[in-house]
Amino acid sequence: MNGRVQHAVARLLGYIGLLIVLALVLAPIAFMVAGSLKPDARVLVEAGGLAAFLPAGASLDNYRDVFARVAFPRYLFNSLFISALIVIGGLVVNSLAGYAFARLAWRGRDVLFSLVLVVMIVPLEAIAVPLFYQVTLFGWRDTYLVQILPFVANAFSIYLFYTFFLGLPRELEEAARLDGAGVLRTFLMIILPNSRPVFATVAILTFLTQWGAFMWPLLVTSGEAVRPLPLAIATFYTLPPLQWGDIFAFGVMMVAPILVVFLVFQRWFVRGVATTGIKG
Amino acid sequence: MLCALLLGGCSPGDDDKTPGVTRLSVWAHAGQAAERAVLTEQAARFNAGQSGIEVDLTFLPERDYNAQVQAAAIAGELPDVLELDGPYLANYAWQGHLQPLDTWLSADIRDDLLPSILAQGTYNGRLFGVGTFDSGLALYGRRSLLEAADAAIPQDPEDAWMAAGFDALLRRLASNDPDGAVLDLKLNYPDEWFTYAFSPVLQSAGGDLIERENFQTARGVLNCPNAIAAMGRMQGWLQDGRVDPNLDDAAFVSGRVALSWAGHWEYRRYAEAFGDDLVLLPLPDFGHGAYTGQGSWVWGVTTHCAAPAAAVRFIEFLLKPDEILAMTAANGAVPATGSAIARSPLYREGGPLRLFVTQLAGGYVVPRPQTPAYPVISAAFRQAFADIRDGAAVEEALDRAVQLIDRDISDNQGYAPAPAP
Amino acid sequence: MSAATPRCAGWLLATPALLGLLVFVALPFVLAVVLAFTNLRLGSPLPLEFVGLEQFRRIFTDPAFTRALLNNALFVLVVVPLQTLLALALALLLQRRMRGRVVFRTLFFLPVVFPLSLIAVVWVLIYAPGPEGMMNSFLALVSGGAWDARDFLRDPWLALPAIMLTSLWQGAGFQMVILLAGLQAIPGELYEAAAIDGAGRLQRLWYVTLPQLRNTLIFTVLVTTILAFRLFDQVQIMTRGGPRHASTTVMFEAVQAAFTRQQVASGAAMTVVLFTVVLLITGLQRRVARQVREVA
Repeated sequence: MNGRVQHAVARLLGYIGLLIVLALVLAPIAFMVAGSLKPDARVLVEAGGLAAFLPAGASLDNYRDVFARVAFPRYLFNSLFISALIVIGGLVVNSLAGYAFARLAWRGRDVLFSLVLVVMIVPLEAIAVPLFYQVTLFGWRDTYLVQILPFVANAFSIYLFYTFFLGLPRELEEAARLDGAGVLRTFLMIILPNSRPVFATVAILTFLTQWGAFMWPLLVTSGEAVRPLPLAIATFYTLPPLQWGDIFAFGVMMVAPILVVFLVFQRWFVRGVATTGIKG
Repeated sequence: MLCALLLGGCSPGDDDKTPGVTRLSVWAHAGQAAERAVLTEQAARFNAGQSGIEVDLTFLPERDYNAQVQAAAIAGELPDVLELDGPYLANYAWQGHLQPLDTWLSADIRDDLLPSILAQGTYNGRLFGVGTFDSGLALYGRRSLLEAADAAIPQDPEDAWMAAGFDALLRRLASNDPDGAVLDLKLNYPDEWFTYAFSPVLQSAGGDLIERENFQTARGVLNCPNAIAAMGRMQGWLQDGRVDPNLDDAAFVSGRVALSWAGHWEYRRYAEAFGDDLVLLPLPDFGHGAYTGQGSWVWGVTTHCAAPAAAVRFIEFLLKPDEILAMTAANGAVPATGSAIARSPLYREGGPLRLFVTQLAGGYVVPRPQTPAYPVISAAFRQAFADIRDGAAVEEALDRAVQLIDRDISDNQGYAPAPAP
Repeated sequence: MSAATPRCAGWLLATPALLGLLVFVALPFVLAVVLAFTNLRLGSPLPLEFVGLEQFRRIFTDPAFTRALLNNALFVLVVVPLQTLLALALALLLQRRMRGRVVFRTLFFLPVVFPLSLIAVVWVLIYAPGPEGMMNSFLALVSGGAWDARDFLRDPWLALPAIMLTSLWQGAGFQMVILLAGLQAIPGELYEAAAIDGAGRLQRLWYVTLPQLRNTLIFTVLVTTILAFRLFDQVQIMTRGGPRHASTTVMFEAVQAAFTRQQVASGAAMTVVLFTVVLLITGLQRRVARQVREVA
């Protein structure tokens, strides 16, 4: 009897702990959402107390403002288009490479894999300038291409795929080989259906990274035609006083699509883990 | 307006092949909404008013404007006509991206321009850029609070408060103030503000950012004893808590401070808040006169442009008194020509902002150094100011700035001007 | 489809990605390394010159850069363990079959969804100085009034920790999701076997969970370390490296050099140094925790 009470108390404490951490984690987000519904002047003034999270007299004025000041639909389309292509291209190209490294034997594999890991360390800011000179040479400035192609191949994604494929049971492929299937067929028919979690993860992470890209588009594009959302928010950063309500409204609108993507992929993720052969 | 923006975004600036029509691609910074609206209307008016030239306007975000222009410049994809932040003009001219305007600009307009506008747009003896407005920088104050602190209210730069007297005034104001912070220095503003607003302090003290003879060194000028003393005095204000951090950019309008070191763009907001209680005052005099800041956006023609005459016609259009007044009505800046000033309700004789004209025309301003080294000079000074604000030894901070600047100049072989085109 | 020889197949599958990495990452990086030995400036009409080790000599005598290296090291030493522990704790708590697990998991992951630039802006407001600032009021509340209001982002001791907290806030959710996936992949039978052998909760954690989680843990620690060294966005938006370089990082200094001062070669030298350091450290990490690898 004592053990059960202890157990229940422990679970309760666990719940409470989680809730506290959750509140702390969500506070900044709540602040932003509430701020987006308030008139600009009140955002800072009310930042100190509970009022920061409660939009008394909420209104959608800021959201209307954003649409008036910025061609939001165009920027949204650009962001979606660019991010989608990077994700799709990346899923194809990086999964194949990850599989090749994890499961196939070929000359130079180990050396090349180490190089891939090394490349993973290089941040975009380090290569921005030389890459900029390069794409200018190719004549790619001010296009969708220049914002997509350099980011399709991604060392981090390859590593994620590699780690996952390593963990798949060999029996799956052996069965396929017995049936006479070639490498590509094995990959498509056997590996893919069992790899939903990693595909979902890579898709989400890639999308997140690319959605917020600011510096690169700033350097390689001008004008509105192909520019993504983060550059539009820069329009709001003129001389102070900054309109925090507008900025937060823009932030909320910018995050909404990502949230949708995450929620959609997240269900696959959960289901994938439940049905995959990993556990078995 | 949306149409103009979309249109502007489509063509990267090649001349159209329609016979008889010269197309000009124009880039401008995306400032406040009113400014953008006026410029868009101006482009439309220009296009409608004549048939040989067609202007295509594109707006670029203001923050990082220079980075975007520089990136486009390297790629060789600049437009025909370009707005630039004044002090960066020399750097672009040196890089070979701008064409001189003096042969094209009409003498009438030239003679009508404020001397400060001409000074800012000149590099290596040629005129590369013209602004349609200049900026004004001064101290906004609350008459009632100042009188309560027994301050004489100067009307003219000649009567400006001396620095020591200003110190004493700050102390008196602080004794009447709940949190002791009585001065707003717009510390919340981004980067370039600090060079713009506080390098005049150096000049007022007898120093400068760099020697103006050949623009070769900052030693003995940026870190001369007077400059060190002046920056030390400012550090004193900051350390003593006289300065409001101004995170919400409302220290003055909400009544927390009695004085605001700010530019012309604040006039409307401040006047709305305080009406007659608002006074405009010259900046304090640190020993060599009450110097203040100047300079703003300028229009230039790039070497990419195949029709400079047409481009200059567009710029001359923007310089017509009506057009200048339309823009300055939107952004509150100082009109660039005498004829426009005479018609401006804010800036003509007796107008509330006449002080700015007095300062700009009366020699109380020194342009930010018209040298290709400017980006580094500004970065070095900003870093020094930030360090001084955070308590660093003033002499060390300024010495370090001097080192950075001098080393950059020597790295670039003195920024010898390119042979004149 | 006929069975292609495995040797060819490997190359075929990997080539598109490798090509992309070569052209768009490796090549520019090699270029950057070469540039570090020149005097390249952005947009300068002057001819390019090789200056040997001059750039490196300069950056190592620059107090801003050396401080940046120190800050990066501090950041990694503090954030990586803390974040991993936090993420692990959360993942363990969420792993049990409990009501609302999916909701919790989604909510904890929420911070990751926000672009860094946006987060930094929100946190600037949270760290507002004065007793009305959110963080200051929160700390005052929690300490029962013992907390003096501080200007976090301008305080030489608090600026870097303030940024650390921002990174932790976002990074923990990210790591948690990956660790959770790894936890869920642990076969239930192992736990049952351990329970039958009489292992208590803590022992199950030590002898079953952690070893099974090893690869995933190694992976997330490696990735977090690499990302921690690349710290830039928050510094750019929240503190600009201040006060007096107290919160500057190598990437921030490099971007300042290249874009604000137009000294591309100097920026390149800094990133080369950073890259070398990270390479050494991650190499060490991998050697210390050799991954179990299933290979034909």
